[in-house]
Amino acid sequence: MNRATTGASRRVIAICIAAAVLTAGFPLFAGPYAQTIARSILTYMMLAISWDMLIRSGQLSFGIAGFFGLGGYTAAITAKYLGVPPILTLLVAALVVGLVAALIGMVVLRLRGMYFAIVTLALAEIFRIVMHNWSGFTGGASGMLLPRTAFNGDSTATYAMMLVMTAVVIALSEWFRRGRVHYALTAIRDNEIGAMSAGIDIYRYLIVVFAVTSAIQGAVGAGYAQLFGFVTPESSFNVNVTLVPLAMALLGGMYGTWGPVVGTVLLGVLGEYLKLIVPYGHLLVYGIIIVLVILGMPAGIVGTVQRSFKNGRRSRVAAGGVE
Amino acid sequence: MTGLHTQGLTIRFGGLTAVDKIDLSLEPGEIVGIIGPNGAGKTTLINLLAGIYTPTAGRVIFNGEDITAVPAHIRAVLGIARTFQLIKPLEHLNLIENVMTGLLFAGKRSLREARRAAGELCTSLGLEDLGRPTERLTVLEIKKMEIAKALAVEPSMLFLDEVMAGLNSAETLEIIAMIHTIAAERNLGVGVVEHVMGVIKTLTRRVVVLDGGGVIATGPYETVARDPRVVAAYLGASV
Repeated sequence: MNRATTGASRRVIAICIAAAVLTAGFPLFAGPYAQTIARSILTYMMLAISWDMLIRSGQLSFGIAGFFGLGGYTAAITAKYLGVPPILTLLVAALVVGLVAALIGMVVLRLRGMYFAIVTLALAEIFRIVMHNWSGFTGGASGMLLPRTAFNGDSTATYAMMLVMTAVVIALSEWFRRGRVHYALTAIRDNEIGAMSAGIDIYRYLIVVFAVTSAIQGAVGAGYAQLFGFVTPESSFNVNVTLVPLAMALLGGMYGTWGPVVGTVLLGVLGEYLKLIVPYGHLLVYGIIIVLVILGMPAGIVGTVQRSFKNGRRSRVAAGGVE
Repeated sequence: MTGLHTQGLTIRFGGLTAVDKIDLSLEPGEIVGIIGPNGAGKTTLINLLAGIYTPTAGRVIFNGEDITAVPAHIRAVLGIARTFQLIKPLEHLNLIENVMTGLLFAGKRSLREARRAAGELCTSLGLEDLGRPTERLTVLEIKKMEIAKALAVEPSMLFLDEVMAGLNSAETLEIIAMIHTIAAERNLGVGVVEHVMGVIKTLTRRVVVLDGGGVIATGPYETVARDPRVVAAYLGASV
């Protein structure tokens, strides 16, 4: 950053602080309905960010729902059979799912591009079938109830729980975005042989990132199970859990934390609003909007805004500016 | 035993023997030309030395140790660097960030330290305005960035794969002088793959000529250029 950006970055910081205060104080002025929507937006936000954190390495995952569902079931199973307290199930789910992903990653991260994407999709389906058919243990198609839920389902407290989780995920994503990991993942995405020649252990970085992002998805799945008090194969492994966050990240812009954040808020609010004004056609309108925005702005909303901002600055500081 | 040595280095792709029983050695501070007609196996040889390919047979010895099974990213850490014939910059990183990667990972430097060292390295090669995206660089700047990226892993052996391609004669002279300086200052062993014979003549004391994956001649440029087998390889005549 340099002189030319200080005024603008001060404005950005001000907006961020305002947004943080507004989000933290949300339950003070919003009713239960708005809080429910906010919790759902936070859920999708974490999933969209975690998906983005992996695509920064060039690896496209269609496995969000798989790890989300696995996390939900981990929470329900450990709570029911081991008596793990509600809040702790989030941590247990993150650990279990992260470990499972690391082990699976050792095999599937040999694959690239569409081969990796298809395998992650298949993994989600495998997890669903296992949970569906292991009925003595998981309740089969009817799913299982959690013996207790976090804060007994209190609206404000569960909102706070999701908000804290989201803050952790955003912090993790920004840490990845600013540190060595950023250089490693970007190099891997741009040119794998070039990355190796710079001394980057590609396989190790991919396994770590796959495990961390899957652990996030597992914890979010557990959080979601705590919100609703039950898990079923159909809801926990629903394909929308993969597709909606993906669309949100694409709309907001990939390869950064704020694209998925903006995309999630816009589509989350828009989705609810459309339900009210076009009761039976909201998904159609929703889909059309996503297609149009992505056609018009392939870099996403945040990417497009950043680019026009950068170009404007470049023409103002004509000579010798530092990026 | 310092330097990089190969013994009977061979790689076959299906029925094609791309590199065939090559014995090569490169000492620190020495600049060696690697020439040969298209398809002779020059780039494949560099890929074998850099660890991108695993040989079918033979060994690679570096500073007395067998590194045949050592993967590419660890060879970078050990100090074997290379540039690419088909240059593909890390397009989502800017100029200085491209150069930083080698320092960060092969050199295990901190972010701050890598940025400082990358800045010094770029400046010493005459690169300016280091925050530019790579798509805004000239051909000469791209070539310099490739050399800077290779030097960023702090190598003792450097392989340059047609680094002069696409440069005009003044720019070529600048890069030749740069390679001379780098090799002398850093006591670097340099392997130069090049099609322009004038470059090989001024840059190297020793040339290895490849054809059909094997070494057909080795010695000073003036000697190998008159070797009938070399002439035949380039002109396609049978000996």
